[in-house]
Amino acid sequence: MRKIVFLLFSFFSFILNAQENLLNMLSNDDIVYANYLFKGTKIVNGQSVELQSKDILQFNIQHRFGPLNSGAYNLYGLDFSQVRLSLEYGLQDWLAIGIGRSSSIKIVDANSKIRLKRQVVDGFPLTMVINSAIYLKQFSSSSLIDVNKQFSDNLSFTHQILFARKFTRDLTLQLTPTFIHYNLVEIQNERNDKLSIGLGGRQKLSKRISLNAEFFYQLNEIRNNNVISLGFDIETGGHVFQLHLSNSPHMIDSEFVTKTFGDLLKGDIFFGFNISRVFTLNK
Amino acid sequence: MNKLLFLLLVLFNFQVNAQIFLGNKGNISFFSETPLENISAVNKNVSAVFDASTNDLVFQLKITDFIFPNALMQEHFNENYLESDIYPNSTFLGKVNLDNKDKAIVEGDLTMHGISNNIIASGDFFQDQNTVTILAEFSVKLDEFSIKIPTIVMYKIAEKINIKVNIKLKRVE
Repeated sequence: MRKIVFLLFSFFSFILNAQENLLNMLSNDDIVYANYLFKGTKIVNGQSVELQSKDILQFNIQHRFGPLNSGAYNLYGLDFSQVRLSLEYGLQDWLAIGIGRSSSIKIVDANSKIRLKRQVVDGFPLTMVINSAIYLKQFSSSSLIDVNKQFSDNLSFTHQILFARKFTRDLTLQLTPTFIHYNLVEIQNERNDKLSIGLGGRQKLSKRISLNAEFFYQLNEIRNNNVISLGFDIETGGHVFQLHLSNSPHMIDSEFVTKTFGDLLKGDIFFGFNISRVFTLNK
Repeated sequence: MNKLLFLLLVLFNFQVNAQIFLGNKGNISFFSETPLENISAVNKNVSAVFDASTNDLVFQLKITDFIFPNALMQEHFNENYLESDIYPNSTFLGKVNLDNKDKAIVEGDLTMHGISNNIIASGDFFQDQNTVTILAEFSVKLDEFSIKIPTIVMYKIAEKINIKVNIKLKRVE
């Protein structure tokens, strides 16, 4: 009896082994990429290494209110608000483009993001993305005649290389060297080229909520403050809400990186939120 | 002694008569239907192997290969529900029962999200000299694989998910 049991046992274990052997025939040692380093294409104000997937169109509505220290008369900044409406679209999985417009500063912006490298699990350590943007400050025809300005004087540019690494499934950090060029600067002796270093990251607090932080340090710009921003990404079914506090009221790179005059310690804190919705255009 | 011989014979027999059919571009799609929202996704990189001498059937797929029409859904699927960074693969190890002429019955262990459950699926099984074609449908319950649906989207995701399998295997020498 024992022998039969043993025999049956070994027979069944053999069957299992046979299936395991079949499974081994299928085992694929494909490259496994680290995915979803951030929930959104922006950490707070600055770009993250995420970009839209192919054929995906994202519509963003971004709001920024006035400074917290503007008093009860202005309901602590909530009376002022500016809006940026933007569209982001994925041409390829590694290439996305976007356009947007900021209300109060009247700047139209367009950008492209190209992903050069992806972080590989047990392989290449970083995801690398290049972000380039162009900004057009809108003007009326009369101002053009008055000041004898040229069209190109209204242009400025941002170029960034984004290095990010997902350290754990919850923690991602990003380093963002940023170069910004203005064709025309506002005051005499101001540099046209500005260099900054951005540091950003996200820590997931739960499956659907993450805490994001961002810091831009000015390398050659003394007129401007360093930028500190803090935010939450909150995922609901089909939307992502982003709520944040920053010492900059602006939403585009050229403005918030190099034109932040707010001082966090003096209460120049701006509350803002983003809402995004994605549409699929391939069907 | 006799029994040992028998066992060896079985082993040997298996080795000699192994008729292996292999495929790696199969389709597996799933559907979640609720009054509020229909969700579907398809994986076109499913691999499978069938051993005609033992009727063993094995499937394997990568969770990240499931393509959703909506990128945000795909992100939630990978990040929140299937946790594909921890459990990158799903496998099925089973046997085909061809006794019934009309429908083939497949029974075995389906593993996903780190949990194995016994499932039974029925479908069409066509075998000729060089190819095997498998068409099957079955359903799984999310809580059996400890996939938790938060209350905020509870009415958008069905408790029971229907799965369709369509794969063609070719004989390998």
